[in-house]
Amino acid sequence: MMQEPAEPLKKKQPRVGVFVCHCGINIAGVVKIPELLERVGIMPDVVVAKDYKYCCSDPGQQMIRDSINSDKLDRVVVACCSPTLHETTFRNACAEAGLNSYQCEIANIREQCAWVTEDKDKATDKATEIVRTTKAKVENDLPLDAITVPINKRALVVGAGIAGIQAALDIANAGYEVVLVEKEPSIGGHMAQLSETFPTLDCSQCILTPRTVETGRHPKIKLMTYSEVDAVSGYVGNFKVKIRQKARYVDFKTCTGCGVCLEKCPGRTEGRFERGLTKGKAIYRLLPQAVPNKPVIDAKSCIYLTKGKCGNCAKVCPTGAIHYDDTDKFVEEEVGAIVLATGYELFDAARLGSYGFGLVPDVVDGLAFERLLSASGPTSGEVKRPSDGKTPKKIVFVQCAGSRDSTNGMPYCSKICCMYTAKQAILYRHRVHDGQATICYIDVRTPGKGFEEFYKRATDDGIQYLRGKVSKIFRQGDKVMVWASDTLAGRKVELEADMVVLATAVVANPDGVALARKLKTQIDAHGFMTEAHPKLRPVETLTAGFFLAGCGQGPKDIPETVAQASAAAAKVLAMFGNTRLTHSPTTAQVDEEICVGCGYCERTCAYDAVKVDAARKKAVVNAALCEGCGACAVACPSGAMTHKNATKKAIFEMADTF
Amino acid sequence: MRRYTYYPGCTLYTKARSLDLCARKAAEKVGFELAEMPTWNCCGAIYNATSDDLAAQVGPVRNLAKASQLGDKLVTLCAACHNVLKRVQNRLDQPGNEVESERLKTFVDERYERSVRVMHYLEVLKQDIGFEAIKSKVVKPLAKLKVASYYGCLMVRPKEVLEFDDAENPQVMDDLMRALGAEPTRFDFKAECCGGYLVVNRRDVAKSASHRILDNAKAWGAEAIVTTCPLCQYNLDKLRVVTDGSLPVFYFTQLLGVAVGLGQDELGFEHNAGDPIEFLKTKGLL
Amino acid sequence: MAMSHTPAELLEQVQILSGQVVSECYQCGCCTSGCPIGEAMDPPPSRAIRLLQLGRAQELLDSEGIWMCASCLVCGTRCPRGVDYARIAEACRAMNLRSKQSRVDPDTVTAPELEEIPQQAFIAAFRKSSV
Repeated sequence: MMQEPAEPLKKKQPRVGVFVCHCGINIAGVVKIPELLERVGIMPDVVVAKDYKYCCSDPGQQMIRDSINSDKLDRVVVACCSPTLHETTFRNACAEAGLNSYQCEIANIREQCAWVTEDKDKATDKATEIVRTTKAKVENDLPLDAITVPINKRALVVGAGIAGIQAALDIANAGYEVVLVEKEPSIGGHMAQLSETFPTLDCSQCILTPRTVETGRHPKIKLMTYSEVDAVSGYVGNFKVKIRQKARYVDFKTCTGCGVCLEKCPGRTEGRFERGLTKGKAIYRLLPQAVPNKPVIDAKSCIYLTKGKCGNCAKVCPTGAIHYDDTDKFVEEEVGAIVLATGYELFDAARLGSYGFGLVPDVVDGLAFERLLSASGPTSGEVKRPSDGKTPKKIVFVQCAGSRDSTNGMPYCSKICCMYTAKQAILYRHRVHDGQATICYIDVRTPGKGFEEFYKRATDDGIQYLRGKVSKIFRQGDKVMVWASDTLAGRKVELEADMVVLATAVVANPDGVALARKLKTQIDAHGFMTEAHPKLRPVETLTAGFFLAGCGQGPKDIPETVAQASAAAAKVLAMFGNTRLTHSPTTAQVDEEICVGCGYCERTCAYDAVKVDAARKKAVVNAALCEGCGACAVACPSGAMTHKNATKKAIFEMADTF
Repeated sequence: MRRYTYYPGCTLYTKARSLDLCARKAAEKVGFELAEMPTWNCCGAIYNATSDDLAAQVGPVRNLAKASQLGDKLVTLCAACHNVLKRVQNRLDQPGNEVESERLKTFVDERYERSVRVMHYLEVLKQDIGFEAIKSKVVKPLAKLKVASYYGCLMVRPKEVLEFDDAENPQVMDDLMRALGAEPTRFDFKAECCGGYLVVNRRDVAKSASHRILDNAKAWGAEAIVTTCPLCQYNLDKLRVVTDGSLPVFYFTQLLGVAVGLGQDELGFEHNAGDPIEFLKTKGLL
Repeated sequence: MAMSHTPAELLEQVQILSGQVVSECYQCGCCTSGCPIGEAMDPPPSRAIRLLQLGRAQELLDSEGIWMCASCLVCGTRCPRGVDYARIAEACRAMNLRSKQSRVDPDTVTAPELEEIPQQAFIAAFRKSSV
């Protein structure tokens, strides 16, 4: 009997389903859907071409799922909006119907087609080509499984202002260990410098210290003060952090916090905490309620460390806790998530040339005035002016000192100044009953709960609001002259004051900016950390595993900071609630037979995801770190590096469709 | 000795001639020569900012063209001339302005050779001579005379074009005074306008603007003021209500001249109000 | 020239001649605060721009204030939006002067003034204020 010749192994023809979304009128208003369907329907291997008004809706997804089963589809193309919006939606829908998620591709015919033209014919032509190209890609897609990685359920919080403190407490109270790193000797950030907080006029220390004490005592919080993050390696769920513990010269284990050393120190620093109103001492605590309540020595101003003389503190210390031979130490911690809460600074008002800051001693900035108001400040809470210690009877508060100015790089509104200026004026009048306060403003912004009522309280108290941005501030005799205007009356006004307070612009903490650059997390043009999406993802970054909280992300007040910190903690806890983390499998892959270990890929990678194994001279991809950007595949001169589901063959076939 | 093409301008050539002569002599003592352009015309006295008024630019362009044939730098002693000439030069060089620029350059008869660097006498002192060198030429240090340095508005603005020091708190002339042995005082009105040409039809306004400047200088303890522009010098010196001999208003080159040893009659003091000679004598400087 | 144009045309003219866009101004008042002539100028710089923003260019053209600008440029230098009022005032003056209306009559200068005041002031003043 003659045998039938064996059938040559035929490549199985793919069965592609194309689903075109109207997206209401977003796509359908420009792209001619019936025509598109017709053209798509006759493309080879397209088994079914359907349309729906909103594919992302439940019925839309159901239509796709049903079609996968009834039409026996093994590839799906959804022609709709940008994949950043619904790729996950449709891939999940396909998975539910039994099709591998990675054999479903999105053809963006909205942002890249319907939204960039009003010409319907051109739009329909372009949409056809986009679908054709995407079909070429999906036909080359192999089924892939998501990668999973373990999670180290420990968190790192960088910065222990109120944002960092809140985030650390929330994570620690859920039972996970937190490493809290703070560059100052004690925690509390700028909130510790404030006198009272708006709109409740709570004493800042009174509401802050319960948190700081809890943080200092928490069994799950490993507090590292006077420390800075030096380097971070690894990837989400598996970070290795190198922390520099700066030399303190005081042994925290033996120091009792008695404070005798503070009395005897002759060395002087610029007094940053007091904003330069008084000089600090070389051995110092930031404030009496400091957590931890142990001093450190500032090496640059210590007479012993710089000149070898003095040594008073060591002489008087009852426990011998002073060690002049201390050095910086490095510690390595392993964590799974990092919260960046590096906070803000105030713009250096000396750079506002016409405002006299630095030239006229009685012109101070907002934080300096807080120190004057604060009971633990240099004047014990009595409002005295820096030049002669007299009580100022007339203070002019200048809002928008630097903010809302496109010519100096700070076109944004600093958000907190209108409220804190009203607060400072109210507190001043409370301390100095016959004091007069004038606030020069452009607008008064009171968006929070109770804020507008607070502003009314200020005006009810007789505080004068003068609408007009100040142009110049200078000294005349022992008065400070302010050139302002009353735009509501249409006149220039010259004010004579005893003291001027500048509400200077809020800028990102420069140390935070430097850290972001080191870590390669995104910052915007002003140095504020960039959130993953301005509306829907305000506490995440685009770098997996890094979260944001507080003013490091943008100017905001305490209630918003606390809310954001808790939100960031919630994201961390959501991550920790999993057993393992999934990671997209569309990563780079090395063909070891071709690879010669030239290292071009390693140099190109922005994520440190590919390294050449020196012994074998082969590139090795860490799929967990790889973000699938494709740069290494492009850089590879031999073609050894390819990209899963975006191979050279696939790309050439996509290009050939034109 | 370095030679610079020099543009005196109308006022320094006539009414304030003595200041011009003083400045030239002081220059020689310090190590450079001001070679006046053989022919020149009015610079326009004030820059015309209207976008389409090309006729107003012709005067300054003609001067720049003439200067360009003599070298690549043009020095002026008057802040107003400096302001106009430098801004017009900048306008000619502005990318995107080529059509207008060509029209102007071809319109004037004089051949326009190249872009000229317009410099104020002060810039020559700072950048080309250097204050250290000037210090070494000082024979009569100014005995810690407290001097307020008044730059005037035209000297520093517009800051992107003039690039003359910090526009809110310039230091160049203060540094010069220090090099000459004087003590520059703090002064909040260094670059605030004296009223300028408003003295012609609104004398009252120029007077009050000038008074504010003098008051602030006095408040900071100044014993004298130095200026960089003959119009500022006039407004501050001659418009005040009280000329009680206090706070004489000098042209900066006058004090420079005193310090480098020019004779009493070479310093142009007939130009100043009051009795500057008497004042300087009481300070032991003459 | 001034009377027969619509407010929109006048504003357009001012903007072209001055190279400034009045909608950039957010009326903070800094220009008025810093103007050395501010107390005497009516309308002062920020109010002048407000008139333009509100379609009242003719009122500005008819005002006293535009003739009192000394072109010291403090307004534009300190403006947080970079709006240069000095150029706007110059444009308004130019629009008046081009309709052959002099503001300052050189014949009103007295002999002693002519003798004393630096001629630079005369040239500048007449270029800004007369035809």
